[in-house]
Amino acid sequence: MSGLGITQKNLLEQQWRGQLSEYVTAVAWSVDGCLAVSSAAGEVLLWDGGNGDSCLILGSDNTGEQSIDCLDFSPDGQFLAAGGQDGGVRIWQVKPQLQRITTLNNAPKWVDHLRWSPTANQLAFSLGRYVQVWDAAEQATIITLPFDSSSVLGMTWQPQGQHLAIAGDQGAKVWDSRNWDDDPFLVDMAAASMAIAWSPDGKYLASGNLDLTITVVQWGNPHPWVMRGFPGKIRNLRWSKSMSNTAPLLAASSGEGIVIWKKQTDDRQGWDARVLDLHTEIIQDIAFQPKSLLLASASNDGWVCLWQKAKQIAQIMNGATQGFSCLAWHPGGHQLAAGGQNGEVLVWSESKRGKGFG
Amino acid sequence: MVTAQASSTIPVTVLTGYLGAGKTTLLNHILTYEHGKKVAVIVNEFGEVGIDNQLVIDADEEIFEMNNGCICCTVRGDLMRIIGNLIKRRNKFDHLVIETTGLADPAPVIQTFFIDEDMRQQLLLDAVVTVVDTKHIWQHWEADEAQEQIAFADVILLNKTDLVSPDELDELEKRIRGMNALAKIYRTQNSELGMKGLLGVKAFDLNRALEIDPNFLSEDAHEHDQSVHSFALVESKPVDGEKLNNWLSQLLQTKGPDIFRMKGIINMAGEEQRFVFQGVHMLFDGRGDRAWKPGERRKSELVFIGRNLEEAKLREDFRACLV
Repeated sequence: MSGLGITQKNLLEQQWRGQLSEYVTAVAWSVDGCLAVSSAAGEVLLWDGGNGDSCLILGSDNTGEQSIDCLDFSPDGQFLAAGGQDGGVRIWQVKPQLQRITTLNNAPKWVDHLRWSPTANQLAFSLGRYVQVWDAAEQATIITLPFDSSSVLGMTWQPQGQHLAIAGDQGAKVWDSRNWDDDPFLVDMAAASMAIAWSPDGKYLASGNLDLTITVVQWGNPHPWVMRGFPGKIRNLRWSKSMSNTAPLLAASSGEGIVIWKKQTDDRQGWDARVLDLHTEIIQDIAFQPKSLLLASASNDGWVCLWQKAKQIAQIMNGATQGFSCLAWHPGGHQLAAGGQNGEVLVWSESKRGKGFG
Repeated sequence: MVTAQASSTIPVTVLTGYLGAGKTTLLNHILTYEHGKKVAVIVNEFGEVGIDNQLVIDADEEIFEMNNGCICCTVRGDLMRIIGNLIKRRNKFDHLVIETTGLADPAPVIQTFFIDEDMRQQLLLDAVVTVVDTKHIWQHWEADEAQEQIAFADVILLNKTDLVSPDELDELEKRIRGMNALAKIYRTQNSELGMKGLLGVKAFDLNRALEIDPNFLSEDAHEHDQSVHSFALVESKPVDGEKLNNWLSQLLQTKGPDIFRMKGIINMAGEEQRFVFQGVHMLFDGRGDRAWKPGERRKSELVFIGRNLEEAKLREDFRACLV
């Protein structure tokens, strides 16, 4: 890898490696350092970063080998939820002892998206054209939100927990979690919204659309920005940590490239783009390290790349010969997990000698 | 658009036809034939299909418009979502069959395969197969869906031939041929057809030769008793590439919604290679093909299938592109 100008020590070192029997569809961390991994064969594996133990908490026998597609821990680390193609939403209580508390059956619908509220133990999950919200305290579904115009293609909570944005044909619909029965606020797009992301400060909502554009809405501002010129599908959209003097950075992956958008101080000048160009095949996932500008990207080419300040390549890691499929940073930022298309699971942790993150 | 990839691409068959035409029977023939292989079946509505060991997924008929609402450039959103999920597997399926409802316009399904880059890379649209109930087709002959299903087809099964007279059948086939000069037409009972005619058709593969029914070309006049019809333009003189390009792009912009499918081989001026292309509504895919063989008669052949197309005007415009 000479010629790439990597001179510094590695930022991350491999800490653990596990294996599932199929394509890893999702990885998720709890605040306490537990890692959950799901596969296209319907497995869910739990790895305890504290003692290094791992166990399969859901096997393919339980799911009829139907893919588990989404996973999430509640922000307090209390609950884990998994959903997939058998229509089951399985919810475990993680502490003090792991036990499955319920399974919501929705067959033959698939559960493609599932996400805990950042501020309450409420789980939102998609079912075709609907999203339901399940409350852990009540142990019941509290609301069914109809997206109506199409099946749900993306879903994200506002990081402050007040809003839930659902993406689909013709844009996004944003519900207020304090008044679920109120009509949603509509964010119109010219085409279907396929990927959606809210900035950590809750001020910006970005949508990647079927017509290869990105729409960025400043919450409360009726005039969105539209970014164009992408070579293909916008597969991933991620916001960086908040910045002191301007908007956070927006990272978007399309094909083998990543574009970093930086807002100009003057609103009218819009956003500047720079391209991070190194991967040789489609990028499957990207993620900013929490509270930093270090960006990780995982690709079909079998590399996980770390981009210092979302600019310069700092480290390349491998370990999935058929390519990587997904990645996630620990909420504390000192560990990174990635899943592979052949079932590989890798965890890297902060190198003891490495310094100077972000 | 659709490019033939390495052998790892998964073939896709799209089944259309009115309710009761025999789609489900045909689907069962395919599944029996493909015994031991993993066949994923995407249906709009669950019929009474007893399918063992196969993955059957119920899809919503969601149409997403592209390019600021151009109605001729639409995709099936739910299909993209479902297939996007299905291809995230190491052990994928061997064959995908999409069965549409009787009232579906097949274009958005076909266009989804051209527009979605993952589907384009990992799947290969093999053929659109339309089953026609020869006894009852006349009841909905005027319906747009019935005409579109015939116009978009690569393979047409004239089914239930035991229920109609040979004369009626000849008349129906003649009419269908007038609407679609490219499709292979088979007469069947109980949707029974050798699988060679049904699978591995590679109708969207540009490497495959353009096959126009020779009878269609030899007939001078075609009955245009319906608004949907097809015709061929054949010219020996070489074609000016720039003129052709201008003409086709203008044509697609103005007539895109009315052009269902087109295919062609072009004898490009100054080129030793044949140029081949195909189109579905506004979507166009063309490239250089093999070299003309020594002694081969160089000529251009274009076939259009569409609604209310002005044949004489298109013929004249194409002639203006000749050198």
